[in-house]
Amino acid sequence: MQRYDVAIVGSGACGGWAAMALAQSGFKIVLLEAGSRIEPYREFHHRWPYELPFRGAGQPGFLRKYHKGSTEYNYRIMVDDRDNPYTTSPDKPFRWIRSRVLGGRTLHWSRASDRMSDLEFKAASRDGYGEDWPISYADIAPYYDRVEEFIGVSAAPANLPQFPDGRFLPPMPLNCAETIFQTACGKIGFPATPRRVAQLTRMLHNRPPCHYCGNCFNGCDVGAMFNTIASTLPPALKTGNLTVFCDSVVSHVLMDDEKRARGIRYLERYTNKAVELEAKVIVLAGSSLENTRLLLNSQPGGLANSSGVLGRYLMDQVSGGGVTGFLPQLKGTTIRNDDGKAGGLYIPNFRNIGAKGGSGKFIRGYAMSASGGAAMFPSFAPGLPGFGSDWKKQVKSLYPAFARVWLSGGEMLARKENFVELDPQVRDRWGIPVLRINCTHCDNDLRLYQDFFEHAQELFRAARGEILDAKPHISVPGSLIHEVGTCRMGADPKKSVLNSFCQTHDVPNLFVFGGGCFVTTGDKHPTLTMMALTARGCDYLTELVRKREI
Amino acid sequence: MTRRDAGWMILRAAAVAGGDKFFSGWLNAAQARAHTHSSGSNAPPDPQDWSAYKPQFFSPEDFRNLETFTEILIPTDDTPGAREACAAPFIDFVVHAAAEYAPEMQEHWRKAMAWLRSQEFGDLSRERQIALVERMSRDPASASYKLIKDMTVHAFYTSRVGLIDVLEYKGLAYLTEFPVCTHPEHHRV
Repeated sequence: MQRYDVAIVGSGACGGWAAMALAQSGFKIVLLEAGSRIEPYREFHHRWPYELPFRGAGQPGFLRKYHKGSTEYNYRIMVDDRDNPYTTSPDKPFRWIRSRVLGGRTLHWSRASDRMSDLEFKAASRDGYGEDWPISYADIAPYYDRVEEFIGVSAAPANLPQFPDGRFLPPMPLNCAETIFQTACGKIGFPATPRRVAQLTRMLHNRPPCHYCGNCFNGCDVGAMFNTIASTLPPALKTGNLTVFCDSVVSHVLMDDEKRARGIRYLERYTNKAVELEAKVIVLAGSSLENTRLLLNSQPGGLANSSGVLGRYLMDQVSGGGVTGFLPQLKGTTIRNDDGKAGGLYIPNFRNIGAKGGSGKFIRGYAMSASGGAAMFPSFAPGLPGFGSDWKKQVKSLYPAFARVWLSGGEMLARKENFVELDPQVRDRWGIPVLRINCTHCDNDLRLYQDFFEHAQELFRAARGEILDAKPHISVPGSLIHEVGTCRMGADPKKSVLNSFCQTHDVPNLFVFGGGCFVTTGDKHPTLTMMALTARGCDYLTELVRKREI
Repeated sequence: MTRRDAGWMILRAAAVAGGDKFFSGWLNAAQARAHTHSSGSNAPPDPQDWSAYKPQFFSPEDFRNLETFTEILIPTDDTPGAREACAAPFIDFVVHAAAEYAPEMQEHWRKAMAWLRSQEFGDLSRERQIALVERMSRDPASASYKLIKDMTVHAFYTSRVGLIDVLEYKGLAYLTEFPVCTHPEHHRV
């Protein structure tokens, strides 16, 4: 049997980074990916709606087996829920949106790359709720630097303590609607800056800059947006130390004895044949919840679960309905390229950031986004009353004026009663028990959402916008695809699964990278923090192996 | 993009499968824009000749009624309408394909078309047809109106005619710079 130094499960943002960092450290690595390898040039080239048989909507009924958000463009990189089910109780719906493909969700992510601040890492000390993270901003800042410099983050410095600046490429310029919203923010005292995105505004590490096609959610055809295939995998493969197995569905972490992992077992995706391989160190980087599922399935009661908190403290960030409408300043104006960068204006959190942090109404914070202009489909048109020539002229006039303000993400409180467990009955196509997800919002989540909703309307009115649709509703948990927690980090092994380097307290040669380790969601997009923690964990892992401590 | 970057791109294009085609398209489009300030679209033609399409789901009478209805919803005026965008043929294609995973969708369309027949829609003068559509549009209980309108709007604005010729959509392009907002009035609210 082939024995590797490190086996990595999963090839998304964290698995790709770990493969690159550890292969460059000289280790012999095997990377296992449950999905297939795809060719971005062939799969993702610019497509016009009329070039697709069903103009983007898919054959009627066909996309039902995929989660909402999948389209005729991108369903091939989304998970088929019939092969990969999960369960919830009827009164606790949860949307778990996944990809099984080499590169994972980096192939179609929103690219938003924000640094968390000590206001988030140490929030418990300020407002008394929950736990602090075992790290502070100073611990992670050098790794934020390193990740940003490698993946390329286009952004403008904002000089806000709650939204730390980093090593940035020039920011994406704002379109007209975003400029109007930025001006409105200035008027009412909201902070505002171009959304920080891992999307290149100039060449970086042999990757070309963005060409502003706006096709990002269907995958980038040139690798101008950060993804594993374009960014981390090429240098990892160049070392000659990396072997990639696609279509390999991992089912178990194998143990020597209680304290030492010896390898993993996976199933060949198309044959269901079980294969085992050995490695000195095991790195799980599948996704927050897949990693936890794997640990739960590897041993009765869950592997590395002496604390009993594995699966607990599930979070997604709070999201929900925003405000849509029209900016009268833009009605009837010449059509411009407004949606070529898919970025928007970002309004960093400005709630509860004082020293003692409390508005009294709710704790923690949220961030908003605003954008507008001509899009590939006038989404307001089907609902615009009337028909005929006048209606058609009205659509054309409103087309460049359409605008919206939405919730980028609000902190959802970490609560022990939100958890995942193995479903005792249901198994996936490969016979692996699936997750049963138990997640609801608490009152603070609802109050935070309501506060957002009021501020979103305030911003829209300040921009002189005409509100078309503003109905408050909080989204089903999971909808924002920022699911984190269930494998939290902490200094106390009795209350956490991982230490601050994402190493399990119980099994020294087992690491878990991704969002599972999050102690709180914060109000930032989570991916950059996951990657920085991965970079930090890889440094630590390398050091331990060199010192022969694992 | 600087000249040096452009040179880099061309060298790099040779090393990437499919890259030569992509990069040459990009550079050509970028240069055309830079030199002529061309506002022409780079959108390719519709690969399907919808004008030759033979209906598969709707009967000849229903298909004529559907064509008429879509042309009333989105008429041809100083810009092309549902007729030029071949909205009805596309709708027939979609509803026909619903048999496999969404047979209930076919049922909705059968009902809508049967109702139009019951009103002798095809025999009415154009004025009376428009008046009927008008009545339906004001009736919140008219599921048929919403069904036909939603689908016609989708068919029209996802066609090349609707998206490029009428809306003048400028996206999905190859640009070297994103067009920043240059309107001083947008910096004052």
